[in-house]
Amino acid sequence: MSGPGGTTDGQAVRAILAGDTERYGELVTRYRDRYARYAARMLGSRDAAEDAVQDAFVRAYDQLAQCRDPDNFVGWFFLILRNRCFAERRKSKEVVPLEAAGAVASAERAEVPVEADEQRRALQHALLELTAEQREVFVLKHVEGLSYSEIAERLKTSVPSLKMRMHRAYDRLREQLRDRT
Amino acid sequence: MKTLRAFLLLALVGGGTALHAQDVSARLAGRVSPEVAAQVQRLATAAAARGLPVDPLIQKAIEGTAKGVPADRITAAVRALAGQLDVAAAALSRAGPAHPDTDAIAAGAFALNAGLSDANVTDLARVSAPRHTEAATLRVAGTLAAMGVPATQTVELVTQVIAAGGESADVVALPAQVTAGVSHGQGVTPAQAAAGLARAAAARANAPGQQRPRPSHP
Amino acid sequence: MSGNSFHPQVKQLLDGEITLADLPPALRAEGEEALHLLAAVDREPVTFPGLDTRILAELRRRADSPSFWRRLVTPREVRLRVRPWTLVPALAAALALVLVLARPAATPASSPVTVRFVLFAPDAHDVSLAGTFNQWDPAATPLLRTGTPGVWSATLILPAGQHQYAFVVDGARWVADPGAPAVDDGFGRRNSVLSL
Repeated sequence: MSGPGGTTDGQAVRAILAGDTERYGELVTRYRDRYARYAARMLGSRDAAEDAVQDAFVRAYDQLAQCRDPDNFVGWFFLILRNRCFAERRKSKEVVPLEAAGAVASAERAEVPVEADEQRRALQHALLELTAEQREVFVLKHVEGLSYSEIAERLKTSVPSLKMRMHRAYDRLREQLRDRT
Repeated sequence: MKTLRAFLLLALVGGGTALHAQDVSARLAGRVSPEVAAQVQRLATAAAARGLPVDPLIQKAIEGTAKGVPADRITAAVRALAGQLDVAAAALSRAGPAHPDTDAIAAGAFALNAGLSDANVTDLARVSAPRHTEAATLRVAGTLAAMGVPATQTVELVTQVIAAGGESADVVALPAQVTAGVSHGQGVTPAQAAAGLARAAAARANAPGQQRPRPSHP
Repeated sequence: MSGNSFHPQVKQLLDGEITLADLPPALRAEGEEALHLLAAVDREPVTFPGLDTRILAELRRRADSPSFWRRLVTPREVRLRVRPWTLVPALAAALALVLVLARPAATPASSPVTVRFVLFAPDAHDVSLAGTFNQWDPAATPLLRTGTPGVWSATLILPAGQHQYAFVVDGARWVADPGAPAVDDGFGRRNSVLSL
């Protein structure tokens, strides 16, 4: 992974650890939005996602010495952000997340027909009722567009176990959406 | 929001230690005796300077007062707790981060109090990263120990579940699973229930065709 | 619950391994339902303009403070962002919150959980609950007698996280919850642990 001018992540990380801490800015600018959508769909809220991304960058900075593969800073950063997203546990059945998702949707896309908007919100709400792991595999495949083997590689797990998780997610989503109509 | 943060920085830089002292005493005021408040203030300031969480110390002082415990006993308990936080912080540092986060330190102290050793805390912190937070792992381990699962078995069980690719929900569910094992079995001890769960996790990890997650610790 | 499960072939459709045309006629309707579900996925890109500037400003500011103050200004310990859907302090109260020393690293907005506490204490005159969630105040949370003789209960809404507590019987006797994990309280008694 490299940015304009050809600096690789590995070079930036090594420079930062050697004392040139200002260079962390390159990594932050490069990856600021990379997982913004993943965090927003996982947490159901743009605000919560922004907090999570900020926290993840600060944590990554604090623990930069623990990044074992500096050339894959972004993969390591993803795991830190993922941890942070998973730490938000949702136990309450309050309508809350729906409004949050709705606020995100309607503020950004005024032209979208109301019905499509409703369906988008309903699905986001249903997603929040899944376990974090089920929601994640769904988001990585259907929002981020990764293949099962790419997801397996990133999460260090197997394609069969991902499919099992995803298929449970499909059934739960169907159940949730039916309950709401 | 930026203005708010700027205000905070100014207030802190201007107020210095006085601000810190005001706040601890504000939380203790009316809930502990002045004598205990003074002692806890000193302990809290020193603890904060070492990067330790202060909230558990304040809580412990309030708890002791509510329970009608004599002042010197309360101070002793708060001092002992600060010591546990220190041990936890050191144990976490040995696992990786130079500045362990306060959540993890508090969870580590909880685990120590429940009967785990500092070596157990280090081992648990090591197997946690990167997929699980140290705080969550240590809270679950402490709870298992508090249920009567011996330390070695607790570490074994949590480690096996994580190594088998367990998700955060699987780790968090362990205390309930041990409870279920104890209540469904006849004469099954928590240790035995935990051992059974660990064996099952190991079997899952070694099942043919299952891609084993790469261990992430050195 | 077969009524709610998609047929395995429809799941293959959802996975993108087959197309709607590959489904037998009997499954077409279910296949369309599935595709309708996927059409509702929100793939809009999300950006956080200005966030990189804020992160860098924060890191620079921490670098300038001695490590003691770093514990106080770390963004995770101080929640300034106002969210309409959680119990939100007004901005003035948030200012007071900001000045609080070393709150435990704040859990990100976690939803509260309803918990019911029950104790069987047939000889008690009054029973209450004291713990980390109510500053250990025995007067704050009385349990009420239930319809079953000797059984007392109280239902609370608690924030996610780990809590310690005990029952207080007749204002003087501190009793751990017999059904919960117990830890030494440092005063010669045991506290019960509740993880949410």
